[in-house]
Amino acid sequence: MSRAIEVRGLVKRYRVKKRQGLFKSSVEVVEALRGVSFTVDYGEVVGLLGPNGAGKTTTIKILATLLLPDEGEAYVAGYNVVKEPGEVRKRTGLMLTVERGFYGKLTGRENLEYFAALYGLDREYADKRIGHLMRLLELDRLGGDYKLFEEFSLGMRARLSLARALLSDAPVLLLDEPTLGLDPPSARRIRELVERLAREERKAVLYTTHNMFEAEIVCDRILLINRGQVVASGSPRELKDRLPRLKVLTLVLRGGSREKLQSAMRDLGLKYEVSEESDLYSIRVHVKKPEEVFSEVAKRLISSGFDLVSARVEEPTLEDVFIYFSEGSL
Amino acid sequence: MRVRDLVRAEYKLVYAEMIRRKSELVLLILYPYVFTGFILLVGSGVGSPRVFEERVGVNPALFLITAGFAVMALMICIDDILWRPIWEAWIGTLPYVFASPVNKLLLFSVMPLPRASLVVLIGSTSLIPLYAYQHGLAGIPLALLVVLLVVVGVFTMIPLSILTSGLLHAFGESWRAVNIVRPLVIVLLGVYYPRFYMPLVARLLSYALPSSHVVESIQRILLGLVDELTVLLLAAGVLLALLYTPASRKSLLLWEKRKVREGVKTS
Repeated sequence: MSRAIEVRGLVKRYRVKKRQGLFKSSVEVVEALRGVSFTVDYGEVVGLLGPNGAGKTTTIKILATLLLPDEGEAYVAGYNVVKEPGEVRKRTGLMLTVERGFYGKLTGRENLEYFAALYGLDREYADKRIGHLMRLLELDRLGGDYKLFEEFSLGMRARLSLARALLSDAPVLLLDEPTLGLDPPSARRIRELVERLAREERKAVLYTTHNMFEAEIVCDRILLINRGQVVASGSPRELKDRLPRLKVLTLVLRGGSREKLQSAMRDLGLKYEVSEESDLYSIRVHVKKPEEVFSEVAKRLISSGFDLVSARVEEPTLEDVFIYFSEGSL
Repeated sequence: MRVRDLVRAEYKLVYAEMIRRKSELVLLILYPYVFTGFILLVGSGVGSPRVFEERVGVNPALFLITAGFAVMALMICIDDILWRPIWEAWIGTLPYVFASPVNKLLLFSVMPLPRASLVVLIGSTSLIPLYAYQHGLAGIPLALLVVLLVVVGVFTMIPLSILTSGLLHAFGESWRAVNIVRPLVIVLLGVYYPRFYMPLVARLLSYALPSSHVVESIQRILLGLVDELTVLLLAAGVLLALLYTPASRKSLLLWEKRKVREGVKTS
């Protein structure tokens, strides 16, 4: 079986009008994608992360056949998105902005019935599938059968949007910021479902988000995209391991003085920061392996007259990874 | 692709919009009467009903109510096809319609059916009593014939409407162009202002509208002129519609191609 998504050297340029007063304007060419390449396998959730304007939505749009690339090739379920858009559309479930994209005067179920007709689903199958999705996403419990879409909360809209993406049981799902603006329970429900779809139904999921926590728990692999290029890729663990500094050892101390603390730390040759709050000092030591230096640092500080109140190790977050790769420093 | 399911889905979508948005339903019912009333008011300002009958050869009420009915049915067909992409883009459903594997020509062809069939149904209830009053019992089959011809007119208007819609929406700010095209079509259909009174250029443009031939055949029937020309006009309308069909498909492809090239707006 071929890869679920295969992208090779995608380039997309936009012509942006730069207005200079009422009558003058010039055209500037902006490269939204500059040779993006990646793959997604079946049963895998791949997160596409990047700052605003990095090219995430452009990539999703190209894969959903809503935008033509200028260069490069992209395949969904083995079909070329430019040459065989019809085949790609049959095999893709799409979720874009969650707050709109439905008919306001139709109920949730009626909306799904309409899109089932657009996908050419057999009526009997569509009825069963819609019933299943309404139950799966708890839309039946929330009133999706009788409430009009315009009466839906944002959380319900997101669930309905995901239900539409799943309607045709497509093997490839393209989800553009599916939890944007959702309350924590709704966001968690969506995340759990996405994970389940990949694990149990072997769906390939391309997932864009700004939420680092979410990316870390949902995605098997992350593609960091910045200024139209993939700047880093790998599992969340692999990406964190690539940061120049890995962990922060934080010690909270009582007693002594700042001078004494600095004097105690001087000889250890470690990079650290000190902050002071009432009678407590907090010292943050940047090290690769905190377990190796902890005892020595603690011993030195205690012998200098400090009481150790607490100690903890902070792992770098995916946010650190994101900032490092998008801005070049932490 | 199941045509029946698509038609059913369109009916549900459009009727839900109408029934759950009462103002739209009320306007749909009132519009032909308001329009006819307006034309009668303007007409009576220019000349008396007797003058109209002398010049046109038909009772003005009969003519104008028939015209109101025909124009309503035809304009609904045109409006539904011309405005739908703008509406879909506005509510954010357009990317999903594009990204679905639906046959766009088929989708656009069934779009006007729900509202047009409602107008035909409502309109026929106003035409039949009027024709019966004017012509006695013989007026009933005549009214039914007019209704049938209006239905033919609606179907013949679909390919050209799709062709126009595809061309207009392929370019930016299409709603402005739609606002210009719409009144022009009302005039060129020759419903209120029969084609034989039009200046040459307008008449030539009018010949290009398939439904204008059907409208002329209705007018000839109202005048009691049921002959070969009436049948020929109907045939010309149907033939033109068939000729426009491949072009309408290409026009939708052009629209889709242009939108995909610049990127279908998703937010």
